[in-house]
Order: sequence, then C-alpha cells, then structure tokens
Amino acid sequence: MLGVYTEGGASMEQLTNLVISDRELGTISIVLTKLMNDTNATCTMLIDKSGQVVAIQGTGARRNATALGALLAGVFSSSREVARLLGEKDFRNIFQQGVQENIYTSMIEEQWLLVIIFDKVTHIGLVKVLSKKAADELGRILERVRNDTARTKSSVINLQFRSSVEDTIDLLFRD
Amino acid sequence: MALINIANHEIHCKIVYYGIGYCGKTTNLQYVFKSINPTARGEMLSIATETERTLFFDFLPLDLGTVHGFRTRFHLYTVPGQILYERTRMAVLNGADGIVFVADSQAEKFEENLQSISELEMNMRRLGKDMSRYPIVMQWNKRDMPSALPVGVLERYLNRRRVPSFEAVASSGKGVFATLRAISKNVMAQL
Repeated sequence: MLGVYTEGGASMEQLTNLVISDRELGTISIVLTKLMNDTNATCTMLIDKSGQVVAIQGTGARRNATALGALLAGVFSSSREVARLLGEKDFRNIFQQGVQENIYTSMIEEQWLLVIIFDKVTHIGLVKVLSKKAADELGRILERVRNDTARTKSSVINLQFRSSVEDTIDLLFRD
Repeated sequence: MALINIANHEIHCKIVYYGIGYCGKTTNLQYVFKSINPTARGEMLSIATETERTLFFDFLPLDLGTVHGFRTRFHLYTVPGQILYERTRMAVLNGADGIVFVADSQAEKFEENLQSISELEMNMRRLGKDMSRYPIVMQWNKRDMPSALPVGVLERYLNRRRVPSFEAVASSGKGVFATLRAISKNVMAQL
C-alpha cells in the first residue's frame, strides 16, 4: 500500500510494508559484499529511513546492527532538517570521520540508506565513487522489491501467523 | 514501515510513543526495559540532554522470538516532547507502524495535550497516513496525580476517534504492558 508525502516540493512514497524475498536479498547481499571487498571496508549495510536494517555484510558492526540502524537513520533525519534550514532539499551523503573508523552514508531513492564503515587504510574518494555505483544498482533492486511486496506478503502473513503472534504478545508483554 | 525479510525469516515493526514533555513516554520504555524478560530485549538507547530530557529519541528493541518460523521484533521509539522539537518528532514518526499517544491526565496539561494531538494529526497527514485506519492507542497517564481529569473528559476531547485507551501510572508500571499489548496486536493486525 502506498501513500504520498509531499512537502516543500519534495514528494516521496511512504511504504506500509516492505517484503524482501530470498532472491532479492541474495542480490542485495552480492552488491553489498562487492562494495565491501572493493573498498576494503569492514562493513556495508542497507537500512531504511525509519531505521530498520534490511541487510548487512561484514563482521565489524553486526552485533550492534539494530542500534546502528536506528542511530544512523536519526543522523540522516537530523541532517535533512539542517539542509532545510540552509534552503537545501537534503544532504544526500554524510561522512563521519573517527580516529580509526569512518562511516559514509548515502541516500538511495529517498527511502533507503547505504552505509559503509571503513578504516584509515581506505581512501574516501574510492568509497564515494563505488558507493554511488552500488547505490544506483541497489535502487533498481529495491524498485523491484517494492513492486513485489504485496504478492510476497500473503505467503507469510496468514491467519495462523496472526493468531500465533497474538499469543506470543500476551505471553511476553505482561506484568 | 514494517520490514518482512523472508530470506532471514524476520519481521520488524516500529512503534512510536508520542505526547507532550514530561508526559511519561520515556518512563514507559524504561519500565518495559526493566520488567521484560532480558532475553526479549536489546539495549535501550537514549539521545538526551544533560538534564535527561529526550533530545532526539529513545529506542528500545524487543524480540518476541520465533513465531511460525519468523523472528518477530518490535522497535519502540519515543519522540522528544518539548514544543520546540516538532521537526524532530516528524523525523521519528517517519516509517512508524503504530503510535501510542501518551496523555498527561493533569488538568493543567489539558490544553497542551490537545495541541499535541492536533500536531500529531497534522504530521500524519503530511506523511500521507490515514489516521482513521492507522494503529493508534491512547494512554491516560499519571492517573495518581491529584489534579487528574476524569477519564470521561479525556476520552471526549482527546479520543475523538474512539481508539482503545488505557489508564496508567507509568512510573509504577500500571497500564504500561496493557498499552504495549494493545498497540502491538493492532500493528500486527494491520500488517
């Protein structure tokens, strides 16, 4: 189901659900792995703007992936507001530089973020060029995922699933 | 936006606690964090000011375990309540699958609550969401305060859509899990 969000001339589609099949996750993982290897990065991630981690490659950040997803999406939202104050539509890329580790985040199709975590061995120029290439590729894959979502969802969310999840909620969320 | 990852057998949903400053949003999350089985939760993150006011958001990931082969997770967020941070609230709302509106029951907070709910309605419109079909529950918090308004008054003015509502004293945990159960089921029903 799609809705339309329009503000300041920018329009973007708000997805209700995103369902990723085995095949598409495989393709996404190949792109992320290639980007990680080619840039010698420690980790590459694809997250959605609400902070959910869609896919992650590399070992470095895997343990903290959920928290990283939420925080990096927050950083991006915050930078978007900074852009707005400066009269920019948005900042499409963010570079965070540490002593050992660096993070480069770029936006894909207004809805997703590609994150690369790399150390001082890697040159930022290489990361910029190759992440642009990977972002274009991921954009095409995510478009397909979007179009397939309704069809794939019905295979997972059925009556049985809904009833089981309600039982689990009752069991877990209690005083 | 709920994310259903068939390859990894995972489902992720985002729930946002919304409401005015000091209404108890963070307290709700802190109580869940403290009381739930530790295996079912991750670390709680808070981006707060030095005086412990929420600056950006609080974040608490919950893991329901495996349901029908799918690992089901809820990500709980709070927005900053202070009026100044409207744009931040909007940013946190982005991609939410369900909302808990936490109202401060005290009479002196009534007008602020009203403003907050109309701001929420406006933000949801901006995000292209139809509030009449959107998972939302109300929590009447601080029921233990001497100036707490009768529930009937809160229902009449703050809950015009007649969505499920729960009385709470979040600091002692009363009503916290009842609210969380209701919004979680509501979100799953809308998936």
